[in-house]
Amino acid sequence: MALTTAPDPTRRGPGSGRAHSARRGPGAIRHSEGLAGYVFLSPWLIGLMGVTAVPMLLSLYLSFTNYDILTPFSEVEWVGLANYERMFTADPSYWHAVRVTLTFALVAVPLKLAAALGVALLLNRAWRGVGLFRGLFYLPSLLGGSVALAIVWVNMFNRDGAFNSLLSLVGIEGRPWVNDPDWALETLMVLAIWQFGAPMVIFLAGLKQVPTELYEAASVDGAGRFRQFRNVTLPMLSPVIFFNLVLETINGFQGFTAAFVLSNGTGGPVDSTLMYTLNLYITGFTELQMGYASAMAWVFLLAIAAITAIFFSTGRFWVHYSDGEDR
Amino acid sequence: MHPATSPTTDTPAGRSHGTPVPRRRLLRGLLAATVAAPLLFGAAACGDDDGAADPSAPVKLSIFWWGGDARAKLTEDALALYTAKHPNVTFETTWQANQGYFDKLATLTAGGNPPDLFQIDDNYLAEYAARSTTLDLTSYQKSGKLDTSKFPESLWQYGVVDGKLAGLAAGENTQGLVYNKTLLIKNNLPEPTTGMTWEQHIAWAEQVTAATRMPGTQDPSADYKALWVWLRQQGKDLYKGKELGFSAEDVTKWFDLWKGARDRRATPTADVIHEGNSSDVTKQLVVTGKAATSWVWANQMPDLKKNTKDELGVVAYPGDPSAQWARASMYWSVFKGSKNRDVAVDVINFLNNDPEAVKLLGTDRGLPSNLDLRRVVSDGTTDQAMKQSIAVEAELTQKFGPSPQVPIKGHSKVKSELIKAAENAQYGRATPAQAAAQFVEACKSAIA
Repeated sequence: MALTTAPDPTRRGPGSGRAHSARRGPGAIRHSEGLAGYVFLSPWLIGLMGVTAVPMLLSLYLSFTNYDILTPFSEVEWVGLANYERMFTADPSYWHAVRVTLTFALVAVPLKLAAALGVALLLNRAWRGVGLFRGLFYLPSLLGGSVALAIVWVNMFNRDGAFNSLLSLVGIEGRPWVNDPDWALETLMVLAIWQFGAPMVIFLAGLKQVPTELYEAASVDGAGRFRQFRNVTLPMLSPVIFFNLVLETINGFQGFTAAFVLSNGTGGPVDSTLMYTLNLYITGFTELQMGYASAMAWVFLLAIAAITAIFFSTGRFWVHYSDGEDR
Repeated sequence: MHPATSPTTDTPAGRSHGTPVPRRRLLRGLLAATVAAPLLFGAAACGDDDGAADPSAPVKLSIFWWGGDARAKLTEDALALYTAKHPNVTFETTWQANQGYFDKLATLTAGGNPPDLFQIDDNYLAEYAARSTTLDLTSYQKSGKLDTSKFPESLWQYGVVDGKLAGLAAGENTQGLVYNKTLLIKNNLPEPTTGMTWEQHIAWAEQVTAATRMPGTQDPSADYKALWVWLRQQGKDLYKGKELGFSAEDVTKWFDLWKGARDRRATPTADVIHEGNSSDVTKQLVVTGKAATSWVWANQMPDLKKNTKDELGVVAYPGDPSAQWARASMYWSVFKGSKNRDVAVDVINFLNNDPEAVKLLGTDRGLPSNLDLRRVVSDGTTDQAMKQSIAVEAELTQKFGPSPQVPIKGHSKVKSELIKAAENAQYGRATPAQAAAQFVEACKSAIA
């Protein structure tokens, strides 16, 4: 931290500053400025320690106990690996939640990225009113994980919701999408995919960075539209794709609000929307098994870290950084 | 402890003593005193509530309940009445909808700032009592500070968990089958009656569906209170001691009964049943117009009535009504660590036994627990829905059987597992026997 924040001494202003630095040496400056940096960081650091780090470590401890929220800390019993053992060997609903979450992420994340990239390509043209469309497509993701949006979604995809009214116009009899265990999760996926605005904006920014000479050169070489997309756009965009993929995967795994609202906090109908985080919440707060829920949270953290690590290790084969370093 | 023996840590206290005390022991003693002092003061602070404190010292009591706007207004009025009589006591009230209430209560407790006084129901009473979160009210009851002499005995006993009075009934209710009276009259259909058999109820519902095209009854197979009544009619129970009071065969019969009803179109389709399985009053099918009958608690009548224009009627669940009992619709409990527990208990006593307060509260939390005041309230009420719920409970009071034990720890999980298993059968994803086996299996690990 100190190394990156300390500026080059030669860039300091003329006069006393320079003399000062000459007398005390660059090491001293680094030290004092580093300290100042930490002082300025301290509100954030205190927050990080108090609100994130300490509770996190506490939850690690609790994951080895039978903590049930109501019992005071002093009477909590150490149970060793029992919570982890139960999770892996004796809890079918845990594995059900894992399956639901994986299904959700495997379908929703690629489709969301594809939608984001597709629309970004369309909006990366100099059409009239393109700015308006960029805004409109971005809008849904501003609403983010909001409860209001999830409520609207439930009402749209009810048996007598707007979506089925549309279907009936073309003579299709709809289903009670959100109340059908075969379709409830799919409804959530559509909601997630629809909110592709954030990755879309990032893709747009990435597309703007691709030098036009490359396309010119490609078309001189006789490459058509598709060829250009495959051999110029995709490689040039790969760092941005990578960034979006990592971020959206993590987001996808952590989906909670929509599932909670749709199912009234139960994960229903018949556990079809029992996402990992929702299962964790129910275990901890409704069933009062906070020790067990803490263990779930830690396994979740490790799983997401492992998946991210896998992305990073494969990235070397398909992510191209054109910033001079040839990789 | 070793560094303490170094000469530089010698204390003036050590020198001033006339008799030489071995330095190490003295320091050890000082250290122990430093550690113990806050504990002792803490303990003293906890104990100073037992009469020694000034009775007119200002007290701010935190109180937490679930419910709607109407309940909030009634409760706040009743509490204001208490403040008028005891100006030193003021209240910090918090209330919210039932959904999420217990999550919040648990979190408040964990965070070390639980309310002094809170509302709780039989789904959670044992969970809280087993962990000693609730104050045992027995001694207050014995000393008469908490007067239950006018209560039906079975009602206050329904608050006893492991020999401790963990909560005092804030009102009495019982299972109630609420039906759409307007619809039946319009179609010239008979109204259901208390004492109908289950078979008769389903046949009646089938007839309603055929005549009105509105499904006759919500399928209650996911509803623990309906299953509970039915089990008691079979000579079983939900719990026996720390065990389940039923077997997979019993539940199979229960699921089969309702599979038959669904096949005869006496009930709505699975997705509509699922909507009605919510505990939310506003989503009950009898008020959303998706079924002619819902399975609720009798004291919910006025609340249901607010959500529909149709006239409603209420009777007991089918089968022998003596399987129903005078249930504490909800309790008031005091947090064990509360510094104001004496005042909190006095407030509970006030809310249950003060004529003016009870009149204000009406039947919002169930019929008043105090029988004398119950009579006054039921004679005085003008609310039609409230009158009906009072009438059905008064009728049933003659027939009530003994109260079952309060549901045990793990009950909330049992409830959600029942919904899951029943819905599996309703959506046709499992046979009644498979769903029943799955349910019993899940219950066993939930209450283990």
